[in-house]
Parts: sequence; structure tokens; C-alpha cells
Amino acid sequence: MRATPLKSLASLTFAVLALAGCSQGLLGDGGTGDQSSAPAQGPIVLGMLIPQSGSEAAIGPYMSNAAQLAIDEINAKGGVLGRKLELKTADDACDPQSASAAANKLVTEGVHVSVGGYCSGATLPTLPIFGRANIPMIIPAANSQELVDQKLKHVFLINGTGSQQAAAAQKWVDKQGAESVALMHDNTSYSKDIAVRAQNLLGDKAVIVEAVTPKESDYSANITNVLAKKPDFVYWTGYFQEGGLIARQLRQAGYKGSIMVADGAVSPKLAEIAGDEAAEGVYATMTQTPETLQGAENWIAAYKKKYNADPGPYSNQSYDAVRLAAEAITKAGGTDGAKVIAALEAVDGFPMFSGPLKFTPEHTLANGGFQILVVKDGAFALQDPLA
Amino acid sequence: MTQLVWNGLFVGSFYALVALGYSMVYGIIKLLNFAHGDLYMLGAFTGFAILGAAGGVSSSAALPVLLGVLLATMVITGLAGVVLERVAYRPLRGAPRLSLLITAVGASFALEYGMRVVAGADPRVYPVRLGGTALEVFGARLTVQQLALVAVAVVLMAGLNLLVTRTREGRAMRAIALDPRTSALMGIDVNAVISRTFFLGSALAGAAGVMAGAYYGKIDFLMGFLIGLKAFTAAVIGGIGNIPGTMLGGLLLGLLESFGTFWLGGEWRDVFAFGVLIVFLTVRPTGLLGERVTERV
Repeated sequence: MRATPLKSLASLTFAVLALAGCSQGLLGDGGTGDQSSAPAQGPIVLGMLIPQSGSEAAIGPYMSNAAQLAIDEINAKGGVLGRKLELKTADDACDPQSASAAANKLVTEGVHVSVGGYCSGATLPTLPIFGRANIPMIIPAANSQELVDQKLKHVFLINGTGSQQAAAAQKWVDKQGAESVALMHDNTSYSKDIAVRAQNLLGDKAVIVEAVTPKESDYSANITNVLAKKPDFVYWTGYFQEGGLIARQLRQAGYKGSIMVADGAVSPKLAEIAGDEAAEGVYATMTQTPETLQGAENWIAAYKKKYNADPGPYSNQSYDAVRLAAEAITKAGGTDGAKVIAALEAVDGFPMFSGPLKFTPEHTLANGGFQILVVKDGAFALQDPLA
Repeated sequence: MTQLVWNGLFVGSFYALVALGYSMVYGIIKLLNFAHGDLYMLGAFTGFAILGAAGGVSSSAALPVLLGVLLATMVITGLAGVVLERVAYRPLRGAPRLSLLITAVGASFALEYGMRVVAGADPRVYPVRLGGTALEVFGARLTVQQLALVAVAVVLMAGLNLLVTRTREGRAMRAIALDPRTSALMGIDVNAVISRTFFLGSALAGAAGVMAGAYYGKIDFLMGFLIGLKAFTAAVIGGIGNIPGTMLGGLLLGLLESFGTFWLGGEWRDVFAFGVLIVFLTVRPTGLLGERVTERV
């Protein structure tokens, strides 16, 4: 009695698998066999996992808009290898479970290259999902060291890494002459990574590493802990919502020293949440943003014209990720995963906003390009390029 | 040390306000209303909308204006709670408890993502902020605004307690909590009383939402999730269904978190606070002031 439904289930599974295999063979143009002789059909699909809901939902449009802008520009010039590019976005909600589901969805929709990934914690579980499907990943924003520690061949980071950011933070702490630094993180992969690396670099200067629970409103208990160590520099390595609240509550608690935040907290909303008074003078370690880019006026104007809004954090990196994907697919002569990966590894001097690109053997940028920004009149402005 | 106590009491008074609604609803119809935290969120957004509609408010008039907004918001979120009960819970009266629980989870998502559609995913910032300069009292830094918020919370809680223990309405609620069927036989309009219970609980959550919005400044559509969980914990610690116990539970949870952070560091705070919850459930499943189980059956 029991065997029958099981059997039918098994055969159904086989049928589905066979269908999936077929569809890949017909619509995809490689991955399994040598099909370079067969003419490729249909658009080349780029998949993008971004937060469209949840606490980081504000970031999503900055990234997908910029990616779409790059795609439109490339398509206007005739596309890649005579095929149009197409963007498929999916919501990872900055949450590992949602991200896994969304990545599976993109894989079944037949994406050829992934150009998304903002929250490191949410991007991490998607690595094997894209890996199994032989889909190269160009990650524009997520930058925890854990993403590259597994030495996966298909994973490329075009944002500076956690260790590069921690090094930039240490440089600025030294430049400011700070003696005791409090590190605060939110226990997510990205945030903790930077805090722990900064702690190792700072040595005795790091007087406390305090973990907070994200998505709360009241951090007074953590702040009491931090201020008990009498730091003259506080470095928050999480995201902007908590960052704004922490900056405000630090000042309310009478803290007079410097406050610095990491790149995840760089958003116009940070100053709004903290209030003008508390936000003024908050530093940030950040890679190039549209505001600090040199010679990007035309690009910013194009973005504004298309979306009637300013580009924001990671717009430029997302734009570059799409261009880089197009370049690699062109060089590879198709969308075969292994060939695109080889083409990405061979990239040398590809012009990006962050400078000419050449990947390290780890598949990261040789130079993180972190700068120090400061909040002036409620907006982040360049303080020190740290060059 | 006094700073830790103050931090704990301040956060705890928010937990207590939200927990009361949980506790009352559970006490009266044995429903864990998981959408309750989202009524707190709804309150924060309602207050935000009213303040936005009222236009600019000078900071000197902030406190009286906020009190007015607070009352208006309480009425609106209270009515929202009544609608929620009417639409989502009343049709399931008498259904298995599990169905009600799942409906509550569904209602929670509907409120959260409904608000996201209306207000967007971006966090909003209150136009009026209760900042204020800190005073030193017995070595603890606190602001007049914090004191005012705690005072409002205490007044609301005391008022609720009076209502439940001293009025006809309260007697009807307690009667239904003991035995809804017999109460109906005694001529109590059970559905009406349950509606009014939802009104009260939701109004308190709405008040807490406005207060959090005005004090912390940032509101977003997911802000109710975590505090809903905390309020549930507070209600269980204090004795779910018992009003003074729930208030005590809220304050105690605030203190536990504050001292947990201090003793063990931020990353251990939740382990500590929720560990205490587990111990409580093992040793004293009815909570601090929970009623004897026989009284419920």
C-alpha cells in the first residue's frame, strides 16, 4: 500500500528533473556539454538578490536601479554577443532563509550570472546554491571575509573586504590619536567580522567589544557597558537603523568622543534617525559612494534622469557588477559558468568606479578603496581618502 | 548600579504596557494574540500620521501636543484592535486553539506588510523628538522626558487595574475569564466585553508605540515583532492573565536585560533573559503572580 504513492512520487520527481534538465539544455547554452557551435537563443539573464523587504529594504532600489541602468546602456549598444541582457531581481530580505529560497528561485529561472548580494549573512547561504548550478557570482556589496574564506571558485567580491575595512578603521583611529576604542557590532556575519578584525588590529587600544541585538530601539544597557570603559572612540560596524539610534543614545548618555560607523550604516537615514545634533561629525569607513566619486557627474545625471531620484550606497558597485558581468561573458564567448569564471580571473585593468580592476587570487579587490566620510549638515561627505 | 536599574525600569515600562494587552486577551479568551506587537507598530505609525497632519510643532509645546496625539492614537489603535478581533478572531470562537494561533500569526503578517504597502519599507523618523538634557539622580542619568513617559505608563497601568478590579465592566471581564459560558447565562454580553477588552489592550499598545516613536525617533513596519516577543515573555514571567503580575513581569524583564548585559556582555543578554524565562516555566509555570490553575478550569 505504501509503495504506490512513494513510487509515483519518485517517478514524478524524475519527470520534473528530466524536464528541468531539458529546459536547461534548450534554453541555457552550456553548463553541461560543449554547445558553442549551437547558436545561443534568448536573453542573457543576470540574477540579483537584494533586500526589498525587511530592515534593509531601503537599499534594494539603489542597487537594482543602477543595475538596470547598466543593462539598458549595454542593450542600447546591441547587448552582449548579440543577445539582450535581462535583470531578474529577488528579495533576500537580508535574511538567510529568505535568501536561500530566493536564490533557488533565481536558479530555476535560469539566471546565468549573479550580480547581487548586500547583507553578508544573507549572501553566505546562497553561495553553494549558485555554485551547484555553476553560476558565477559577482557580489557588489556584501563583503564579509567569510564569503571568500571558503575559497569558492565562482565567488568574486568587488567591494572592499572586512579586513580591508578594519585596516582603514585602524588607520583613522591612529590618525585621530584615539587611545581607547569601543567596538560595537550586531552579531551578524558582516558586522562581527569587521569588529573582530578591528579588535585584532587595534590590540590593547580596543577596550571593549559589545554585541547588540539588532532591530531594537533601546540600546541604553549596551551603551552603559561601553561608557563604563571610558572610550574616546566608538566604532559601530552594523547597519544604519541601529547606527542612528546608537549615535543618538551615546550622545544622550553624555558621550563626548568620536563615533565612527562602517559602510553598512552609510545612508542618509542615519543622520535623520540620530537627529542632526547627534549625527554631526560621525565618521564612516566607506568605499566610493556616488557623492564621493570623482568625475561621475554624467553617470549621476543619467541615473537621476531615469529614476528621478539620487543614486545611493552601492549604486555604483551594482552598476559596475553588471558591466563586469557583460565584459566577462563577452570574453568567455558565452555564458558557460567555467568559462565566465576564467574570464573574470583574467580581467586586468577593467575600468570601474573604484579604479582599474584585477582580482587577487582570493577573488577580492587588491585595494579595498576605503575612505573616511564624515556627516556634515546631515549628509555624508568625504573627510579623508586615506590614500 | 542605579543607572542599570533605571535603564531596566524604563525599557521595562514599555514591555509592561505592551504585555498588558497580551495578558488581558489571553486571560479572557485564552488566545495568544501574536498580532499584538503589530498594534504597537500601528500606534507608532498612527501617531506619526497625526503629527504629520498637524504640521510643525514647536519643541516647547512638544509634551502637551504629544499627550493629545497619544490619546487620539489610543482611540484609533483601540478601534483597530476591535476590528481585528471582529474580523480575524470572532469567526473562530470555539475553533481549536491551534487555528486561532495560526490566525493570529497571519494577522500579524497582514498588519506588518499592509503597513509596508501603505508607508513603505524605509524607516520613518518622528517629527517631534523627546530629547532633553540629562539630570543626575543618585548617580543615574535620566531625562525629564523619560520620567514623563514612565509616569504616563504608570498612570495608564494604574487606570487599567482600577477598571478591571473596581468596575462592573471589569467584573464582567473577570467573570468571562473564569467561565465564558456561565457568564453568558448570567446575562453578560460576552462578545461585547471581549471587544472592549481588545479595545483596552490595543489602546495601551498604541500608547506604547507613540511613546517609543517620540522617544527613540525611528519607526518601521517591523518594529512590533521583537517587542511583541518580549511582551509575551514578560506576560509569562509575571503570570499571563494576571494584570499586576504582567506589569511586574515587564519591569522584571527590563531589569533582567539590563543586568544581563552588564554582567555577561551584550551577546549574552538574550540568553540570560530567556534562560530565566525557561527556568520560570519549569519551576513556576503560572508565573510570578499567576493564578492557581484550578481557578482557570
